[in-house]
Amino acid sequence: MKRALALYAVAAYAFLHLPLLVLAAFSFNRSRFMRWEGFSLEWYQAAFSNPQLMEGASNSLLIAAIATILSTAIGVLGAYGLWRRRSRFLSASLYLSLLTPEIVTGVSLLVFFQWIFRVLDIRLGMHTVILAHVAFSIAYVVVVILARLQTMDATLLEAALDLGASPSEAFRRVILPVLGPAVAAASLLAFTVSFDDYVITSMVAGVDSETLPMAIYAIARRGSSPVLNAISTLIVAGLGFLTLASERLRRR
Amino acid sequence: MSFERLCRWPAALVMAFLFAAPLGVIAAYSFLTRGAYGGVEHPWTLDNYARLLDPLYGSILLRSFWIAGVATALCLICGFPLAMFIARAGRRKNLYLALVILPFWTSFLIRIYAWMFLLRDTGLVNTILLATGWVREPLPLLYNDGAVILGLVYGYLPFMVLPLYAALERQDNLLLEAAADLGARPLDVFRRVTLPLVAPGIRAGTILVFIPCLGAYLTPDLLGGGRTVMVGNLIQNQFTTARDWPFGSAASLVLMAIGVGLLWSATRKEGADIL
Amino acid sequence: MSAAGAAGCSAGRRPRLNVYNWSNYVAPDTIANFEREFGVWVRYSVYESNEEMLAKIMTGNSGWDVVFPSNYLIQPMRQNRLLAPLNHSRLSNLDHLEGRFRKPAWDPQLDWCVPYAWGAAGILFRPEATPAPTAWSDLWNPSFRGRETMMDDPAEVLGACLKKLGKSINATDPSELAAARREAIAQKPLLRAYLNAEVRDQVVAGDVLVAQAWATIAAQASTASPELAFAFPEEGFSLYADNVVILRESSRSELAHAFINYLLRPDVAAAVVAATRTATANGSARALLPDALRDDPVLYPAAATLARGEWFEPLPPAAQRLRDRIWTEIKSA
Repeated sequence: MKRALALYAVAAYAFLHLPLLVLAAFSFNRSRFMRWEGFSLEWYQAAFSNPQLMEGASNSLLIAAIATILSTAIGVLGAYGLWRRRSRFLSASLYLSLLTPEIVTGVSLLVFFQWIFRVLDIRLGMHTVILAHVAFSIAYVVVVILARLQTMDATLLEAALDLGASPSEAFRRVILPVLGPAVAAASLLAFTVSFDDYVITSMVAGVDSETLPMAIYAIARRGSSPVLNAISTLIVAGLGFLTLASERLRRR
Repeated sequence: MSFERLCRWPAALVMAFLFAAPLGVIAAYSFLTRGAYGGVEHPWTLDNYARLLDPLYGSILLRSFWIAGVATALCLICGFPLAMFIARAGRRKNLYLALVILPFWTSFLIRIYAWMFLLRDTGLVNTILLATGWVREPLPLLYNDGAVILGLVYGYLPFMVLPLYAALERQDNLLLEAAADLGARPLDVFRRVTLPLVAPGIRAGTILVFIPCLGAYLTPDLLGGGRTVMVGNLIQNQFTTARDWPFGSAASLVLMAIGVGLLWSATRKEGADIL
Repeated sequence: MSAAGAAGCSAGRRPRLNVYNWSNYVAPDTIANFEREFGVWVRYSVYESNEEMLAKIMTGNSGWDVVFPSNYLIQPMRQNRLLAPLNHSRLSNLDHLEGRFRKPAWDPQLDWCVPYAWGAAGILFRPEATPAPTAWSDLWNPSFRGRETMMDDPAEVLGACLKKLGKSINATDPSELAAARREAIAQKPLLRAYLNAEVRDQVVAGDVLVAQAWATIAAQASTASPELAFAFPEEGFSLYADNVVILRESSRSELAHAFINYLLRPDVAAAVVAATRTATANGSARALLPDALRDDPVLYPAAATLARGEWFEPLPPAAQRLRDRIWTEIKSA
């Protein structure tokens, strides 16, 4: 069974990574069209000298990092709270948040922010994007953490409480350690949805808060260019390397 | 207030201000009239909802359910073994998890373009098939429902794998060994021990995949060649080209209501709460 | 990264201008040259549709100074009090505009906008397409089944159908629109897909033989595959023009005017054409172009050809609703 699973996993990973390999291959293509015309690094040069792409990338990373930390923290606590005590409002709004089409979330937040801005003297900017990202990623975190909590045996927790631990201690020492992998999975998911988001971000971004997906869409929808392949390959390579490195560090 | 009650507050506050309130705005919009150039204007009306009764929109909904349903089922079938593999991977778990997510750090749009390149008549797949003589003419792999489903499965697989992994990860190997020792065949072990334990993960994954698939618009647009309208396309169109925000709001609320209805009936049957 | 960082640092000291434009509408050094010459810093962002831009600026406090709406939005934007009036005394280069853009139908006195680039929709085709298409009705030819595409744009698709029927692209009459709908649904089985700019790669690669496309896309495709051809359909075709405007909310009127005046310079406009293959509204720029571009019939069609074109116009809400419903019906057919 283990061998069968491993073989399957290889096939599954190949499926997942095939487009990525295609992208990477064509990022080294001399021509701007998708026919191979020779090896060239010009698109990487173009990517680095494109201020929109560079700024977009750094904005995206910053936003995703902050939003992930916030939504994971809030989401883990919220999931635990929901697991212990039901809350109709919270469950309902989390459900609905997953059901809402992105364009609706984007438009509703835009209109809502604009109303608020009539009272407070601020504008759309990085802060509105981060708030929007936290808002839509919390539900993902909660769903993943809850899925893990619901397979958990509550008796361990009860035992700790009976033995005199305060609820917050019990959470910190009994639940949290066990949640480790689920939290990793949830934060990975939250980071990804934040980093990759286009529709919602484009609606609530301000003049100075353009993100990488926005920069990419702008270039792509009017006729794609291999500079996008280059930046994508760079990002994946960079983030992949970081992930590998942090894995190594963790295990030491 | 007890710690356990306090836990929910940050999430509740965020959802109240950044979700419920904006949603209230959209609900209000659904009863207003279309402004000439986007935005809304005053006469309150039920027109937008009345328009939705047209059979045209019913057929769009059914079609979307079909495509989203198939995509979700495929995600489950394809994602489950992968999640099992990762959950049993021991030390390398996080690495394999990251490898699932890695392709999704490229831009969504670019991934779709890569698939278009692969599936085109002159694309990689057809070129290989033609070169090896398996087919004599290029297969129409793009611009049809199949391509859309493939794109959806590809785009949402992590959303199925991650919750499944989270639930499976807990799997007590002792339990599995005990079952095997007691003479159960692997298939029975799977059916009676693994599956019930992982059910919450399956439910979670299904929600995270099926609903967004219904609302997807870019994948059906690009991989389907704009030949069909799914609910996501319809709604997207209302907020952009058609500039009919009230109608788009009404359609969204109806979609969300249907989604809630489905989820509610699904959880009632199993007697458990997903959230 | 350091370039962006340096720009960010000095932005605090130099005056800034926020420009929101269509993507691929300036040459790589257009903005940088402006920044250098005037000692300013420009926040330059791009959008891909009018609606996206409108949604941001509708509220009147978006932060943008200069945007580029299409011609049929000028009047509605004026009515919604989104535009700032232009001061011609600060636009000395206005005379460089091509004759027909000096008094455009959507703003005869150029009080509110300055035309920047224009475009037309026509038929892009490969040499293998026989008979070579010359009219919209050729796109209903069954011999192109599965190898042709139309644009994913209701105005353009309905426009082509209306032209085929001999009507105006701005038709609002329900019976005319119903007839156009029938045509579009009849054509659908022949189509491979509804594609916009994505079709460029497919025509170049040979997947698609015949495509409804904007002239700009055709010009770009031709640089890779000179054997491709573009036809301005006989029955007539749609025209649009993107114009520079200053938003009413902007507090940088002088700098905005300086920017518009800079864009009107023949050399700047010529550089944009050379880099992007867009058709500029700047007549003097043409003289500065290399021969191949100057005489390119796609970018600069003969007057007789142009006469068959019809500008898009703003439509009343009832007509817009009807057209949108028809578009949904066509797409779901």
